[in-house]
Amino acid sequence: MSSRTIKVVTIIALVAGTLVAESRKEYRFNVGPKAGISVTNPYGSISVKPSTSNTVVIRAVLNSGKVEVDNTQIGNRVMIQSHLLAGADATSGRVDYDILVPADASVTLHSSTGPMVAEKLHGDVTMEGAAATVNVRDLSDAHVHVKTLNGPVTLNNVQDGHVEIDSLSGEVILIGVNGPLVQVVSTSGHISYTGDFGNSGDYRLTSHSGDIDATIPESTSADVVARSVKGEVHDDIPLQPMAHTWFPIKEGRAFAGTMGHAAMSSTVVLRTFSGKIHLKKRQEK
Amino acid sequence: MTCVELQQSLAEIEDGSGAEQRAHLETCPTCLALLAELNLIASSARDLSEANEPSPRVWNSIEIVLRTEGLIRPPRADRPHPASFAARWGFARWMVPAAAALLILVGIYVRQHSLASPENMATIPAQQPLQDAAAAGLNDDELLQEVADKTPATQAQYQDHLRRANEYIQDAKQDVQADPNDEEARRSLMEAYQQKAMLFDMAMDRSLP
Repeated sequence: MSSRTIKVVTIIALVAGTLVAESRKEYRFNVGPKAGISVTNPYGSISVKPSTSNTVVIRAVLNSGKVEVDNTQIGNRVMIQSHLLAGADATSGRVDYDILVPADASVTLHSSTGPMVAEKLHGDVTMEGAAATVNVRDLSDAHVHVKTLNGPVTLNNVQDGHVEIDSLSGEVILIGVNGPLVQVVSTSGHISYTGDFGNSGDYRLTSHSGDIDATIPESTSADVVARSVKGEVHDDIPLQPMAHTWFPIKEGRAFAGTMGHAAMSSTVVLRTFSGKIHLKKRQEK
Repeated sequence: MTCVELQQSLAEIEDGSGAEQRAHLETCPTCLALLAELNLIASSARDLSEANEPSPRVWNSIEIVLRTEGLIRPPRADRPHPASFAARWGFARWMVPAAAALLILVGIYVRQHSLASPENMATIPAQQPLQDAAAAGLNDDELLQEVADKTPATQAQYQDHLRRANEYIQDAKQDVQADPNDEEARRSLMEAYQQKAMLFDMAMDRSLP
């Protein structure tokens, strides 16, 4: 037998072994309006999309026999947990979930590695994971709560949201996010906002040492206060100075002003200790 | 008065000071002993109600002793089931109430100092936030030890996050000291503490294997 044949046979054996170890499970649960779905998955991805019926569909790919999927339904609540067996590690204990839920369901996801994705829902979404990449898009009328240590967080097209994001060092990117409350708190992560700050919302982006960028159209209506205690602030958009501020405005360290229509103004606070703040004008197409 | 009548009458005059009660007690050592026991129980109950809740460490010590004695056993390793919070985090489970206590302390701290004069603020040592955290039981070393035991690979990461969170608290504290009337500064201080509390919370989170 030639060495080439041996290599091919070995590769085939390895692939076959992997396929044998990997298994797929599917679970279905009938639920009522505003159901609650909770998924805890130490290792692996979780993707949640809307279903077209009142059925929760869980499709799980288990990486090995060292992990099981525990599932429970209690009334209108479905709980899924990846259950690590003895000797499981980040590879053998990995489970990847594709989940369909009614669009009005409340979803709670935990994964330390992620990634986690939720899209096209209008129930509450809570996502927590230390290093997990978090991606939320096309949500409306939803409460969105995200917590990560260093996992990056991206929210895209969240309308009328009540958004609270906490990340110690993960980058937080908000694109087209608006609502009554949009709050990001970070210790050292960079925060980026691209949008128009909606109407009459409360926007608060704070980081200890991370930079904060906000890119907005000139048509934005907002009262903006930006302050970096030890860093710099830059403002590309002319603001009408505020008559009163609760802190002294130091040139280059802070600015406060109003733009657009006062009646529709949102309140925007950008605050960092040692990072930079940059309020940029979005280039109109 | 018979023994039964005396025992029924204790519901109304519990210390046995009624005239008929006294007369019976002088002749009945059994009822006298019963009354003494009831008084002892009542007294102990009052003391108990005044005592503080035992520290979680006390429960932990009891657990260790019980394990050593073989009266309770750790969960079987060959068939791990969805672990309860206590089973997974054992010693570290006290950190949850500690984190809550920290936030309460910070709330009190921020409120007090929002009312304090700038002169008084200037006398507060810069290490105060970390002392607040320690007072609430958020001990960095113990958290890192727990992380090292459970997930050694993440210890350096947690160490770095703790350092940054502590720096955030220090800076936020100084900002409040500089201007106690700055509402945003006080809010930042609260957020800094919340970031640290979140770190502790995340370390115990069930998403962490």
